[in-house]
Amino acid sequence: MNGLFDVMIIGGGVAGSAIARELSRFRLRIGVLEKNLDVVNETSGRNSGVVHGGFAYDTGTMKAKLCVEGNRRMGALSEELGFKFIRCGKVLVGKSDADYEQLKKTIEQGKRNGAEGLSLISEEELHALVPKAVGKFAMLSKNSGIVDPFQFTIALAENAVKNGVSYFFGAEVISAGHDKEGNWILKTEYDSYTSRWIINSAGLGCGTISDMIGIKGYRVIGSKGDYIILDKRTGPLLPMPVYPVPSNTYMGIHVTNTTDGNVIIGPNAENVTDFSYYGVTQKNLDYLVKSASEIWPCINRGDFIRNYSGILPKWVDENGVIQDFKIEIREEMAPHAVNLVGIESPGLTAAVPIAETVVKLMQEHGFRAEENKDFDPGREKPVRFSELSDEEKEKMILSDPDYRELICRCEMVTKAEILRALKNPLGVCTMSGIKYRSRAMMGRCQGGYCQMRIEKMIEEFRGKKPEEVLLERKGSYILTGKLRED
Amino acid sequence: MENIDAVIIGGGPAGLAAAVELWNRGIRNMLVLEREHCFGGILRQCIHDGFGLTRFHETLSGPEYAKRFIDKAEELGIPRMVDASVISVSEDRIVKAVTQEGLKVIRAKAVILAMGCRERTRGALQIPGERPSGIFTAGVAQAYMNLYNRKVGKEIVILGSGDIGMIMARRLTLEGAHVQAVYEIMPFASGLPRNISQCLNDFHIPLYLSHTVTDIRGKGRLEELTVQKVDRDRKPIPGTEIIHKCDTLILSVGLIPENELSLGAGVLLDSGTKGAVTDEHFQTSRKGIFAAGNVLHVHDLVDFVSLEAEELADCVARYLKDKELPECSVSVLPGKGVGQMVPRKISGTEDVTVSLRVTGKMENCTIRVMQNGREVISRKMKKALPAEMIRIPVKADMLDQNGDVEVSVL
Amino acid sequence: MKKKLICIVCPNGCEITAETDGSGKVISVEGQSCSRGRDYAVQEMTDPRRTLTTSIRIEHGQMPLASVRLTAPVPKDMIFKVMDCIRKIRMNAPVKSGTVAVRDILGLGADLIITRDVPAEGTEK
Repeated sequence: MNGLFDVMIIGGGVAGSAIARELSRFRLRIGVLEKNLDVVNETSGRNSGVVHGGFAYDTGTMKAKLCVEGNRRMGALSEELGFKFIRCGKVLVGKSDADYEQLKKTIEQGKRNGAEGLSLISEEELHALVPKAVGKFAMLSKNSGIVDPFQFTIALAENAVKNGVSYFFGAEVISAGHDKEGNWILKTEYDSYTSRWIINSAGLGCGTISDMIGIKGYRVIGSKGDYIILDKRTGPLLPMPVYPVPSNTYMGIHVTNTTDGNVIIGPNAENVTDFSYYGVTQKNLDYLVKSASEIWPCINRGDFIRNYSGILPKWVDENGVIQDFKIEIREEMAPHAVNLVGIESPGLTAAVPIAETVVKLMQEHGFRAEENKDFDPGREKPVRFSELSDEEKEKMILSDPDYRELICRCEMVTKAEILRALKNPLGVCTMSGIKYRSRAMMGRCQGGYCQMRIEKMIEEFRGKKPEEVLLERKGSYILTGKLRED
Repeated sequence: MENIDAVIIGGGPAGLAAAVELWNRGIRNMLVLEREHCFGGILRQCIHDGFGLTRFHETLSGPEYAKRFIDKAEELGIPRMVDASVISVSEDRIVKAVTQEGLKVIRAKAVILAMGCRERTRGALQIPGERPSGIFTAGVAQAYMNLYNRKVGKEIVILGSGDIGMIMARRLTLEGAHVQAVYEIMPFASGLPRNISQCLNDFHIPLYLSHTVTDIRGKGRLEELTVQKVDRDRKPIPGTEIIHKCDTLILSVGLIPENELSLGAGVLLDSGTKGAVTDEHFQTSRKGIFAAGNVLHVHDLVDFVSLEAEELADCVARYLKDKELPECSVSVLPGKGVGQMVPRKISGTEDVTVSLRVTGKMENCTIRVMQNGREVISRKMKKALPAEMIRIPVKADMLDQNGDVEVSVL
Repeated sequence: MKKKLICIVCPNGCEITAETDGSGKVISVEGQSCSRGRDYAVQEMTDPRRTLTTSIRIEHGQMPLASVRLTAPVPKDMIFKVMDCIRKIRMNAPVKSGTVAVRDILGLGADLIITRDVPAEGTEK
């Protein structure tokens, strides 16, 4: 038995982990039940990494309010938690009169939402910012930016763990009920957890969990988007994201720079009901290239590194119209349960304000707890050897022999960084877990040079047999055993 | 900062052959930098034989071939380091490396690029579908098996008829795996015919040309592949879908010269070879930076890698003595039928060997080298395949010092 | 019986057509560029043989495996039996390239030799 928790959070993505961290400011026994083997395997790790300005949402919605707030605080948050955030700005390019009118409306909406730094710029001004962007004019959002979604989510989770939260991986919740005392009982395939409060931050699973805990009737659809990642040599051509003119339901095929200097093309958007299929089709890849080339004609096959897809959970009404974030407590149906439905874009930008909203809501419904005087909001930024100056590199090499060995050649990642990733506070030990924490295997050769070394390090560090090391998901074994047995 | 006359980046067959030859030419102030724990480069994992047939008149395995050069370097006392990863080369030849002794910063008079190549990946090919585990490039599968003592799968499909893929087909079969088929998108095999014979035919592994993988399915590990026939434009033909239930996909779909360091130094690359544009002295567009081996253009026989590296070393020795080499202003242009070609600039005053690959399978063809409307040299070939690099030696007295040279195959 | 072969002796890979009579004797060989090719064709039609390259387990070495190869080709239909035999071999490091791991393996007239140095673990290279 796991004992009684004060709060159990279902879903450890960016929202769930932000909530875990906020709650760890109190002296509580907090747990996170994460379906997958890491916190970044679903929507939180499959997006454009954009920190939105807050102008694209209807005025008065939570999306608008929490996005503007999240955007404002992202700089300080990135310092505090040691993840990469660049406030590079963003341009939305247009060419027709209709585009111009739409952009004017968008700026108005942005101003009403409290977003700042929005302006209409001319073609010359556009090309001064992004020489390769195609457009007669553009809207500039000075406060938009980009973030490393893996580092951000992992940082929130690691800080939560530092402050006492327990994470359980491979723990998909399959049923929810109550015990005699009125506490929640959550059952996974192998275990059972009892908790006073529960929080549904299950992302793609939010509809299923909402039903399970007794709040029925939410219609959640998946909006799947495919992305193409381009080689870092294209990075200098894109100093900030370039978007086409937006609508309130869909951002458009845009191109985004990443905090590591790559370029991402996408996403497109198609409705799906299978939330486990992340395959990318040829048709979509071709469409992405064709469409994005209209606003940024620098896309060449030779620069393709890989592609991926992500699915956003959208709450829709009976007419299929996308709704706002839902953050609620329904005492009569599910007491002591916070229900988050439809946390899609701008969920990444708004993660911490969402978490604070959850805590405030709990307090309005009688939640009381002592302050955790040992709460430490900070996390040290991991050393990236590749970003150090020569003097700093020399210092690290001389101080620690593990900095003298480069494991990943393409991204210049040292053995010390791989070891640090292996020792991560969440206990994640999949190949992709090491990848997202160290950046190894994310370069041109996609692990062609280093994956064998990293697999061996996982085996040794974790005492695993070759067939037990996983790529990312349950059942994703890489090897079938030793060639010659001992 | 150290000052070294010749810095060789890469201790594989090209780097080692260049080092030994440089030494034989009297150069002493040199350093070979190898990022692995041992020398030998990719040969360390190429445990099959067929190496050294022309050079040593023996059929050796990769490690044995490498050992000839490793032992020679040891015997001569050539300055060399393992566990040394070069992280940058500047255009004025400052080489920085992460080594066991710390961050090394070297000012070099000559830099020899011998970094070899990397494999084309699934991501670069943009094969659609899910991304389960069980998908490996052939070299990675080879490294797991031959260096790390690990098995990669049981039911195998191989995409790409490159030599490495075929050699792995045999290796996997001998180790008890079942290789279901090899698929190749082009209408001809990209590897050597003798590998089709001894790696595929011997084990009744079918090879299907003009086919490619169009979908991948599997939630955890690979479960199923869709393969389709392709048309002349290499587009999948609807209705030709074949489903393979398998757990492993091996990709042998091309090698790309590993030129990231070269780009950092501002070296111009050739879009055909993906390696540096070089002249007959193996000098790149940056003075004092030279390239040979797979980093210059992908070879099929290591014997020619060694030969090429030795030719480069002779040029570098001259360069170090004379401080410069004769100007190469005559362009060598690839004409009809020529896919890749090295060198791209010559002086017209020295003997030169042109290395090229044809664009498709050709029978009873003639390779023609023309200059100023005159035929310089021609060679008739019964058979020419893209898989086999062709070397055409041209004597200096056959060349003019002016006028572009064009090489074509008809 | 006529058979089309690809010669595997050198990278040229000549396409050879060889013909045998009723008793299995080779009566014609066409398409080779050298005498080695002719010899290969005759051998292939009467008594096909193959070399083998693989790995054996090394204990207490800096690497877990040493690559090995046969010094002479063995009958093609014995290859898997030879592999079964090789899989059972264990040797202790250090081993040197050129060392005979198994003399006259399965009595087929070929030795199995080590083709890579494997130093003992914990020693300087």
